[in-house]
Amino acid sequence: MTHVVSESCIRCKYTDCVDVCPVDCFREGPNMLVIDPDECIDCAVCIPECPVNAIYAEEDLPADQLAFIKINADLARDPSWKSITKRKPALPDAEEWKDKTGKVSELVR
Amino acid sequence: MSQEQREAATLAAGAHEAPIQTDALIIGAGPVGLFQVFQLGLQEIQAHVIDSLPHAGGQCAELYPDKPIYDIPALPLCTGRELVERLLQQIRPFGAQFHFGQHVSTLRRETDGRFFVETDKGKRFLATTVFIAGGVGAFLPRTLKVDGMAQFEGSQLFYGVDDAARFAGKHLVIVGGEDAAVDWALKFASEGPQRAASVTLLHRRDALQAAPESLARLRALCEAGQMQFMVGQITGYEASGEARLGGIKVTGIDAVTRVLPLDALLVLLGLSPKLGPVADWGLALERKQLVVNTEAFSTNVPGIFAVGDINTYPGKKKLILSGFHECTLAAFGAAAIVYPELGKVPLQYTTTSPRLHKLLGVQTPAAE
Repeated sequence: MTHVVSESCIRCKYTDCVDVCPVDCFREGPNMLVIDPDECIDCAVCIPECPVNAIYAEEDLPADQLAFIKINADLARDPSWKSITKRKPALPDAEEWKDKTGKVSELVR
Repeated sequence: MSQEQREAATLAAGAHEAPIQTDALIIGAGPVGLFQVFQLGLQEIQAHVIDSLPHAGGQCAELYPDKPIYDIPALPLCTGRELVERLLQQIRPFGAQFHFGQHVSTLRRETDGRFFVETDKGKRFLATTVFIAGGVGAFLPRTLKVDGMAQFEGSQLFYGVDDAARFAGKHLVIVGGEDAAVDWALKFASEGPQRAASVTLLHRRDALQAAPESLARLRALCEAGQMQFMVGQITGYEASGEARLGGIKVTGIDAVTRVLPLDALLVLLGLSPKLGPVADWGLALERKQLVVNTEAFSTNVPGIFAVGDINTYPGKKKLILSGFHECTLAAFGAAAIVYPELGKVPLQYTTTSPRLHKLLGVQTPAAE
């Protein structure tokens, strides 16, 4: 079991979650964060931190977000996705994108 | 004396004091650490408890004090805070000594088989058994993420108010947007011996999360020109003279960066858990959690037990009630070490055992 970052994060990347992770398991891509499933200890501390409710326990993922289990696992292993351990400003147009759905096609790998 | 000198003096004083000797040392005062006190108490083992927070409760107190919990046996509904209050009441007969506001920096085995434990505040222990009930790690203040700022920590940059007089008469900037930041801003902007020369509250968003009456007072003080509220992020600093912080660079929502001069910077961004040094104690880990057996929830080092969210074993579920089970068996494991002459540690019931009644400080019911 692990926790998973879902679609809401795409083009927002608020990074509040990164600050609270006790094991530094977030990885950063150009316009999204993911959780490394091999590092996550399922403590759930990050869930309430996300201003756009992007993080779920694997078991709680909404049905239309299940693809993100594999997306998180794959991208966490991608060497260009680096560990992020300090919060930083969200993407400049995060506010504009935070309530949009159907953002999978916007994901930059 | 500078802050560093004071700390060095405190550490030196601590070094002269003999370490506290104890049969059991519990790291973490969350619900499982507290119930560990109870179970050890029934085994006639008195415990010392260390926690990084200034109070008991761990995640229950820090992350969900007001959220309802539904899966504590025989308590259909309680909040995190209520659970902690009830546990503190339950363990009162056992006289555990708490050491709050410090986290364990060193844990090592001595040649006599006991464990030497030292905290970041220089408090030292020699313990026969150690219980790591560290949950998701020590709750430590969130720090500023600005390169170079760390050098001012303790002289002009602070992550908590240990001494309010320190900020009196200073040009003070407080960073944060929740109750702690708002309440201290109000305190330092109001009449009294602690009043600062000026107070600026800085938060990265325009919305503050604090009690409505505090926000109303804040608004009134700002309107009266007795303090100011600013929205922006700290993106750098300006030194003044040698190793002195002259001001901070604040980038506002208008993307303009301004310099805010100050004497002291108080950062109150809340706490976040960090597993930290647990990984350095030579204990078997699996995905940063302590591997334990399920007979006594012992780690690979006999005498060191791990209970609650910090441990892992086949079938582990991170539930408070699982932690209660774990620390019960760990207490039996510890009794076998602390009282080796016992042989097999007997199981007794609080309903019937006069010995347990004595330990609990209650009357044994008269025979019917």
